[in-house]
Amino acid sequence: MSWLASFDNLAVNMLNLFRPTNTEKLPWIEKREHSSRYRASFALVHNEHGEEACIGCKMCEKICPSEIITVVPGGRKESPVTGKKRGYCDDFILDLNACIICELCVQVCPEDAILMLNVQEAPGYNREDLVLTMDKLYENEKLDATTWGTGTKLVDMQKPAPPPPKPEPEPVAAPSPAQETDGGTT
Amino acid sequence: MSFENPWVHGLVLGLIIANVSLGVTGYSIWFERKFAGRMQSRPGPTVVGPWGLLQPIADVLKLMQKEDIIPASADKGLYNLAPPLTVFFVLSTLAVIPVAPGWIVADLHIGILFALALGSLGVFPVWMAGWASNNKYALLGGMRSAAQSISYEIPLLLSATVPIILADSFRISDIVEAQLGGHWFAFWPPGPGMAAFVLFFLCSLAESNRIPFDIPEAESELVSGVSTEYSGMKFGLFQLAEYLHTFIISLTAAALFFGGWDGPGDNDGFVWMAIKTLTIFVGIFWIRWSYMRYRSDQLMAICWKFFLPLGLALVMFSALWVHWA
Amino acid sequence: MNKIESTPGNFILNEDVQWTTVGGVKVPVELITPAWPDPFLDVEDYDPDGDLMVLNMGPQHPSTHGVLRVKLVLDGEVCIKCVPYLGYLHRGVEKLCEKLSYVQITPIVDKNDYVSPMTNELAINMAFEALIGAEVPRRARYIRTICAEIQRVGSHLLWLGTFGLDMGGAIGGGGSIFMHTFRERELLLDLFEDLTGCRFHYNTHTVGGNRHDIPAGWADKATQVLRVIGTRLVEYEDFVRDNHVFRARTVGVGIIDPQLAIELGISGPVLRASGVDVDLRRDQPYAAYDEIDVAVPTETGGDCFARYLVRVAEMRESIRIATELLTGVPEGPICSLKPVKLPGAVKAKHGRGVYTAIESPRGELGTFVVGNPERRQSAIPYRCKIRSPSMHALQLLPYLCPGNNISDIIVTLGSLDPIMGEVDR
Repeated sequence: MSWLASFDNLAVNMLNLFRPTNTEKLPWIEKREHSSRYRASFALVHNEHGEEACIGCKMCEKICPSEIITVVPGGRKESPVTGKKRGYCDDFILDLNACIICELCVQVCPEDAILMLNVQEAPGYNREDLVLTMDKLYENEKLDATTWGTGTKLVDMQKPAPPPPKPEPEPVAAPSPAQETDGGTT
Repeated sequence: MSFENPWVHGLVLGLIIANVSLGVTGYSIWFERKFAGRMQSRPGPTVVGPWGLLQPIADVLKLMQKEDIIPASADKGLYNLAPPLTVFFVLSTLAVIPVAPGWIVADLHIGILFALALGSLGVFPVWMAGWASNNKYALLGGMRSAAQSISYEIPLLLSATVPIILADSFRISDIVEAQLGGHWFAFWPPGPGMAAFVLFFLCSLAESNRIPFDIPEAESELVSGVSTEYSGMKFGLFQLAEYLHTFIISLTAAALFFGGWDGPGDNDGFVWMAIKTLTIFVGIFWIRWSYMRYRSDQLMAICWKFFLPLGLALVMFSALWVHWA
Repeated sequence: MNKIESTPGNFILNEDVQWTTVGGVKVPVELITPAWPDPFLDVEDYDPDGDLMVLNMGPQHPSTHGVLRVKLVLDGEVCIKCVPYLGYLHRGVEKLCEKLSYVQITPIVDKNDYVSPMTNELAINMAFEALIGAEVPRRARYIRTICAEIQRVGSHLLWLGTFGLDMGGAIGGGGSIFMHTFRERELLLDLFEDLTGCRFHYNTHTVGGNRHDIPAGWADKATQVLRVIGTRLVEYEDFVRDNHVFRARTVGVGIIDPQLAIELGISGPVLRASGVDVDLRRDQPYAAYDEIDVAVPTETGGDCFARYLVRVAEMRESIRIATELLTGVPEGPICSLKPVKLPGAVKAKHGRGVYTAIESPRGELGTFVVGNPERRQSAIPYRCKIRSPSMHALQLLPYLCPGNNISDIIVTLGSLDPIMGEVDR
């Protein structure tokens, strides 16, 4: 009786009526659990000496596909904590309005200074609310919501296989395509 | 001026019935949203009031605050007249439907004809809205609505003829009284009675533009059909008329086929009418959130090729049943 | 109407169908129409009295799947002529690709086909790897294949939901099936969130491999989720396939002639529903498809219902492939090149062009890339052309719509599964 199959719709809907609901209540009641890799907003962090970790190298500015990061380097100075010479960042602006959350800036950071947060930036009433200035970014560090990913960890994860150790110094070095370095130099 | 005066009686009872119906309709929207939400694995309204119970009030307040847009090229008179007219025709139907013994505004001796006639008049404001909006989608929706309502009028009337023949009266209270004691026309005569109810139910769904026959609205094809250009409370009136119509279908079906206020044993009363009505009402929502819609030509084909012969056969059968039994 | 069994490896093939060959491909005879009506006729010749109505459906319309504008010439409710206008979502991705370096392009092309970003990334990175001659480690190839198959399930789930919307409207049964499929798709997005950190625009592929390794316990979770979705597919069939209304709306609607489809360059489920047995996963294996058997579901109906059947069968097949691959993910590195530390990390030092194609959920998603031999520009492609299957599918509309009811046009359009982001790029 094929026309009886048309009543399956009613049965399916009745079945779903007694399933637990699948949506969360509105945000002021409960927050969604994010996985440890979930990335949403940004923070600049301090390094282990308590100094601002950003050295103003502009790597993130160069790799950003949507060109939203502006870094004003502060020049090399002697660190008051360690006494070594290092770079400083005078200003750092990240325009979250156009960010595509690609995590490339985190990956290229040599000092693990810029990290991504597990929580999203609060929506605002005008565009300037979503422009993360340096103060806001360091404020975000205190949220204690940085994700798992840092530049070092991401690079470790993507490390290619170590080249096979050469057993004998053979005279003919076979050119190994693609396995060799293609990155690292500009 | 006593309550025995038909004018006072009618006015008081009419006010009560109309307002209760409007309240039930308003809260049916809350119920539908909750019900549909749970069927779709989401909680439905939860925020406004406990369990979202104040949601209909919030909805109406929102609709009232909205800007009332009248398109520059619309026919303003007809455009503004159509939404209140839809509600007027639907609400008038309530006058002839008894909800309990004696609880009827106007116990017309042609009550069922009056109800069906007003139901079919409802196509005029819809077509009026479609034409006056000066919108192509609204025009198509109005055309579809006119074609659909006129076609489904016939099987609807035929299916309503079955209880008329069985009860030998056009008066709805007589039809209900003929069913007292458990002789509900949906189950007696067995089989054809139920078929007549299903036919009545489906044709009424088509009359009130509910899924799976909601092609005049068809928001996936004609953006919102006749109500495309309407905003604010005018749009709200269309919605109100639709839900009210659904409620009246349930009320009429309960009176015609399920014995109205007839309860088990001698427990007759308003409560049983309410239970039966609300059961059919929930059934309509259940169907609405489970099915997709037919195409307009398929809709017509179903009406003329299937419902109309079935209705004629049912009328014949009930006549023979009365004659022989 | 009999129940049609469609289980993996046992797809429906009507035995009575006569077959012929068009352009070297086997197609069913009964679908071939001798002469198509000219879709580009001049309406003025047919409408001297001005009785016809021109209806611009879109770009703001609930059922045009984004910002497609379809200009319909209607006689009553019957369409006489249909002209799709594209370009409302043109974002210049191909031009952007000529300004960004190879490593920066991946997160950009995510936005092309915004329903299956994983296959976009895979397609463009495969082209770059072919261009620079990079290899992909076996583990990365497995992860890519698993992701692509899970994404295919997610994409088809979304399609099923929106197809229901096209027929039932958001307030009604269509809304119910839409919510049900989105509920299941949510599980898949959670999987991707665990793997890549993003729910939608992942940026997880990179030239030479992947950026994110499988976290601990992910394989078990993914297997379980896929099993759940496999059981829920039965519910959808109860809800949709066996329903009289659904069949009335889809069977015999929008029949696509395989010959016309081949001429227009249609691919993917739309083509397979017309009886043409072409699937790049099996015919030109990429990633890890050479290590697994891919059963290709085909149908001979050519109508919207056949396209529905093909997509549901593909979902089951994808669930099977992904589950099977998840059991045997090999150990090893996930990227063959050094991790990206600079925009110019990947360079093509020649000006040759390559074309690679993958089977995206919508069909053949191809990428044609030309490297830039100039030394300072060598990290930037000279030209990057993306061949999107949705764009080709939309070319069918002028042929399918004339003579159909306006409701059928919506259903036909929905069954082609166009994604406007991919059409306009």
